[in-house]
Amino acid sequence: MVVGYLLYLSFGSSVNYYFTVSEFSAKGTEYNDSNVRVAGEIADGTIDWNAENLELRFDVTEGGDTLAVVYHGAKPSGFKVGSTILVEGKYDYDGIFRASQIIMKCPSKYEPAE
Amino acid sequence: MAETGHIALVIAFSVAAFSAFISIAAVRFNSEKLLKSARIGILTVFGLYTLALVIILFSFFTKDFSLRIVAEHTSRDLSPVYTLSALYADKAGSMFFWGWLVSLFSAIMVSQNNINHRPVLPFALLVLAVLEVFFIALVTFVVNVFARHPSPPLDGFGLNPLLQNAGMLVHPPLLYLGFAAFGVVFALVIASLATGNIATEWNARIRTWTVFAWCTLGIGNLLGMWWSYNELGWGGYWAWDPVENAGLMPWLLGTAFLHSISMKRRRNYLQTWSFYLIVFTFAFTLLSPFITHGGIESPLHGFYGSPFPPYILAAILVVITGSLALLFIRRRNLQREDKPASLISREGAFLITNVVLVVLVFIMLLGTVLPGVVKAFGGTRIALDRTFFDRSCGPIMLALVFLMGVCPLLGWSRTAWHSVKRNLLYIIITIIIIAVIVLVTSVGNWYAVAAIICGVPLVTIFLEWYRGVKARFQARGENPVRAFWSLLTRNRARYGGFIVHIGIVLIALGIIGSSFYSIEKTETLNIGDSMNISDYRLSYSELVLKQDNQKVSAVASLDVIKNHRIAGTMHPSYNYWFSHNDHFAEVTVRTTPAEDLFVSLVWTGYDPGDKSSTFRVLVNPLIVWIWVGGGFMLLGGTIAFSAEERQ
Repeated sequence: MVVGYLLYLSFGSSVNYYFTVSEFSAKGTEYNDSNVRVAGEIADGTIDWNAENLELRFDVTEGGDTLAVVYHGAKPSGFKVGSTILVEGKYDYDGIFRASQIIMKCPSKYEPAE
Repeated sequence: MAETGHIALVIAFSVAAFSAFISIAAVRFNSEKLLKSARIGILTVFGLYTLALVIILFSFFTKDFSLRIVAEHTSRDLSPVYTLSALYADKAGSMFFWGWLVSLFSAIMVSQNNINHRPVLPFALLVLAVLEVFFIALVTFVVNVFARHPSPPLDGFGLNPLLQNAGMLVHPPLLYLGFAAFGVVFALVIASLATGNIATEWNARIRTWTVFAWCTLGIGNLLGMWWSYNELGWGGYWAWDPVENAGLMPWLLGTAFLHSISMKRRRNYLQTWSFYLIVFTFAFTLLSPFITHGGIESPLHGFYGSPFPPYILAAILVVITGSLALLFIRRRNLQREDKPASLISREGAFLITNVVLVVLVFIMLLGTVLPGVVKAFGGTRIALDRTFFDRSCGPIMLALVFLMGVCPLLGWSRTAWHSVKRNLLYIIITIIIIAVIVLVTSVGNWYAVAAIICGVPLVTIFLEWYRGVKARFQARGENPVRAFWSLLTRNRARYGGFIVHIGIVLIALGIIGSSFYSIEKTETLNIGDSMNISDYRLSYSELVLKQDNQKVSAVASLDVIKNHRIAGTMHPSYNYWFSHNDHFAEVTVRTTPAEDLFVSLVWTGYDPGDKSSTFRVLVNPLIVWIWVGGGFMLLGGTIAFSAEERQ
């Protein structure tokens, strides 16, 4: 019973919906108020890093769709054009995705040997 | 050269398959001669497999880029030390190494020629030979580790800079040692069930292998955490990623198994339960490569997989159904079991610990596979973030630490209430002292709860030691140091276990401190600027640009001032690696018993004119105790491991 309760509590706020950029463009507006994860590649020529304000702006692209993202914090290791990443956060009505977290996916040959 | 290696593996495959059949025949005809052939077969497999290993290592050290595995993971300028980690950086290479360990352990098993093992050995050899067949098939026929590169490059692609770290050199082989040793334990248990011959000697062997497997797997996991903390630069050491869970789950089940067999040894109790536990521990060691090779999508690690998962999944199913079928067929071989007279007894506490461990693994498994399962059944793709695990597994782990403290207070079979009452007094005193300390220093509620839960096991362990020493002192007049020493050496399993428990408490303290009280700050500084965090003031004094043939490095100098006194200078760096066309931060950590100061240089323009750089700084309380606890685990494990001769 205790375990069930723990599970119930934990599930509630920990589940994030998970999309690719094109999936999110198709039906993402339904999820405007919830935390989601969107996967895609960092688009060429869109990385704009402001070291002074620690503001990172970039587009993620996948399947022909793009999503503009803004993130406050340090640039993660391996953050470069073409890297596959997950952005976690909320989509705002102004058309910009506010990421609270950036998760890097390592391409094959950089993969840690775990 | 490579062809010789491949042929050695193909022959090893046939010999292993042959040994498996011979073992069956040895059982059927009860023939000493056939058993001898099977043993020679197992030793031959080890010889051939070792030849293959030597050849592959030789290709690594001579940088033979015509081999795929060498070309993909090394380069000319890679240091020879890390050339070794290139072997496990490869998917097939890591399975190859694991398989070699299985052949090594099997050879050790057959070399220990003990007359008492005769009736049981053929069954154990059968299981081990089948395991060898499986591993050799994976790295020879599914993927050929000796495959040539289609277009051999002049220089290799190089090893990921993140893997060029001492922790990464030792972490994977320790995990594989643990996994392979659990395979041996599985074989031994299956053999004892199949023959119904449960000799004490054989049980001692099972226990020794289990202690070895448990200890190496535990330390292996800790080294993975240490690597993640010191190398990946995010300031943490555990993210509940499927790949990490994959290494922890078999260890937790192994922990339950270790405790349940020590119960079986003392009392005729928990026999069937132990059997289930080792079957699932072993199945979970196979689940680990299933997950890491792409069987389950990992949010942090790569999309990159290997062709192994379907085969591994099949093996897991065979292991589980085969073992359960054997249990059903041989159910009469299991002796009638006793039930604990009361849950409030040491047996009861062991049983509860076992159940809690299994529940913990169940929740972790659920969290690990659920997103994949939902997706497979056509649902929306979901991801569970780490708060799921923190909230569900955190309290359960704390409960385990608490049980560890309660257990020594309880007597065997039935606890006399008056003895508990006396012990309870010490516990209450401990709790009051800790509570006062926590209140006076006002560090917060969570700390209080955690400190109390962790303090109790420490006190009960010291109480045990104190009483043991006192008894020897009174009975034999030994001086306390000598009394403690003889206590330790005469009952190594028990006292080794206590030392491991101290290690676990220290690890728990480190995890609690660093999870609840970590502070983080990111700032961009110019030369001469400084930033404050907690009691520290970091002032950015210099940035030096360096270049060697692998990378361009920007090395910063930060003077650390703590409580108005200069405490040292830290040099985090930000490196651009040519081979990977990418930047990697090299973090620096200043460790004290109270807290770590973790500094990472996360961005700089490599511009001699504008040296402004972004630093990410964390203060992680108590984190060093996780690694110290690991040391205790290793020490206690070694003591318990050496206990075998006295069985």
